[in-house]
Amino acid sequence: MSKPSLAPFIRARPWLRRWVQPIADWYVNSCGYRQVGLLSDDLIPEESDTVQKALKRLPPKEAYDRVFRLRRAFQLSLQHTILPKEEWTTTAQDRPYLSQLIEDIERENKERQELDAMVPNKK
Amino acid sequence: MLTSPSLGRHAQRTLRHQGLLNVAQRRGLAAPASGSFQYQTGDSNGVKFASRDLAGPTTTLGLVSRAGTRYQPFPGLTEGLERFAFRTTDRRSTLRITREIELLGAEQYTEHTRESLIIGAKFLRDDLPYFVELFAEIATQTQYPGYLFHEEIESIIEMSKKKHLADTAAMALNSAHALAFHRGLGAPLTPASNVPVNKYLSSESIHEFSRDAYSKANLAIVANGAEHGELTKWVNEFFSDAALPQGTPLKSEQSKYHGGEERISHASPKNSVVLAFPGSSSYTGGFYKPEVAVLTTLLGGQTSIKWSPGFSLLSKATANFPTANVQTKSAIYSDAGLLYVLITGSSGDVAGAANEAVKAIKGIAEGGQIGQELFAKAKALAKFRELEHGQNIKAGIQLTGAGLTQQGKPYQLDETAKAIDGVTEGQVKKAAKEILDYKASVSAVGDLHVLPFADELGLKV
Repeated sequence: MSKPSLAPFIRARPWLRRWVQPIADWYVNSCGYRQVGLLSDDLIPEESDTVQKALKRLPPKEAYDRVFRLRRAFQLSLQHTILPKEEWTTTAQDRPYLSQLIEDIERENKERQELDAMVPNKK
Repeated sequence: MLTSPSLGRHAQRTLRHQGLLNVAQRRGLAAPASGSFQYQTGDSNGVKFASRDLAGPTTTLGLVSRAGTRYQPFPGLTEGLERFAFRTTDRRSTLRITREIELLGAEQYTEHTRESLIIGAKFLRDDLPYFVELFAEIATQTQYPGYLFHEEIESIIEMSKKKHLADTAAMALNSAHALAFHRGLGAPLTPASNVPVNKYLSSESIHEFSRDAYSKANLAIVANGAEHGELTKWVNEFFSDAALPQGTPLKSEQSKYHGGEERISHASPKNSVVLAFPGSSSYTGGFYKPEVAVLTTLLGGQTSIKWSPGFSLLSKATANFPTANVQTKSAIYSDAGLLYVLITGSSGDVAGAANEAVKAIKGIAEGGQIGQELFAKAKALAKFRELEHGQNIKAGIQLTGAGLTQQGKPYQLDETAKAIDGVTEGQVKKAAKEILDYKASVSAVGDLHVLPFADELGLKV
């Protein structure tokens, strides 16, 4: 699920970050998901075993909040409207609550694959 | 004239016969006391460890914690903690640990008793540092994530519960322990219902318990087949860091014997009855009675030789009940013990055998003649059982670890063997009389229409 990303590269260079940040903010705000109260991790396609497993690992409160956000967004989409401005997702709220779990599961799968293809050498 | 081959054969036979007699005459009961059970003990920054260097290319290493079911603050925690052993730590995943152990050709096992939790591994002698490091990692760095509990541990505990509920003998034994000791030692070995999982068990509560269980005050490391110097070195290296908390010893009240009767209806064709009486504690426990060990083998029920029901009173008395499997055991704990007769089989035979068993115990108690030879056999077998049990590697690890964590010194096998030597017939009769003075703990699991009540058997409850 995790895609190649330039973000770590940019974050490591403050001068570059200062330059890119305004563009990034503009881009994220114009995506439109924040206006219906979603978080960026809500947009990850969930039709895969990895994400399904990650969703099962969410703490109960997180899982409940996620469902609430999704249902609210569906409702808004149905009504062709967006939330009042004070309810939009802020940058501080937009945290990656699911990506970490997905990365863990991907790491587990990768390790399993590596170990299954391992060739032990006799010393 | 005699032909030389037949003469030779005859002579050989005669010689062999005499030889046998000689051996039988020479054989004293006090013969084996080699001292090979003696573990060397050590202490590294408060971590207790013991080892004995058995000749051979393999080692068995055990981490024994005091965290048995007796000491768990909430039901099921011991079982939960046991299932978390060898799982993902801060440094390695479950899968990697498993594969590494496989690659080393080693074997891992975990088990728990009423008084201790044992994490063990058997491996080639050279791999000792790897396993000491792994055990230190399990003790200090195991992760207890909530999802792991829900994804894997919960279902395993559910399975062990089902296994337990299908086994009438285990149910009867647990029930007898509960009747005899109520809390503490009476806590069931395996959760018998969903209550522990639903109400008390979570990864947080298990994590909390792990901090007590894997603390310097509560754990010991025991090695069989490892050089003491080697073990000292590696324990110093891997267990001495500050990550292992000092902790306080897990506590449980002094066990007190209560007794009573419980009957559980069960559809299994294997019916079980347990007749339990107060027994002997371990040697250092303050209630040590060597005569209980002799009474156990005297009652017996299982044969130790082929083609014969054996000498024991119960195997003779229950010969008419072919499906009944009778065994007498003395469960020894640090501060109390339980002498029990476990009878399993078809309901009719179990009922009959239970009757005979009570008659046999009363026979001894009321001063019936045991017989010199029978008594000698029972005493010899009791001593053999004791020594053999200690020589057994797995049992040795458990006994030594429990001794270290509970009394601060390894189990004194030679002393117990000596104590058994000193038992007299009078003491055994007295012990039989004494146990009948207490209320018995009688548990019947199976077809309750047929299985007898304690007062029908003539026992006081």
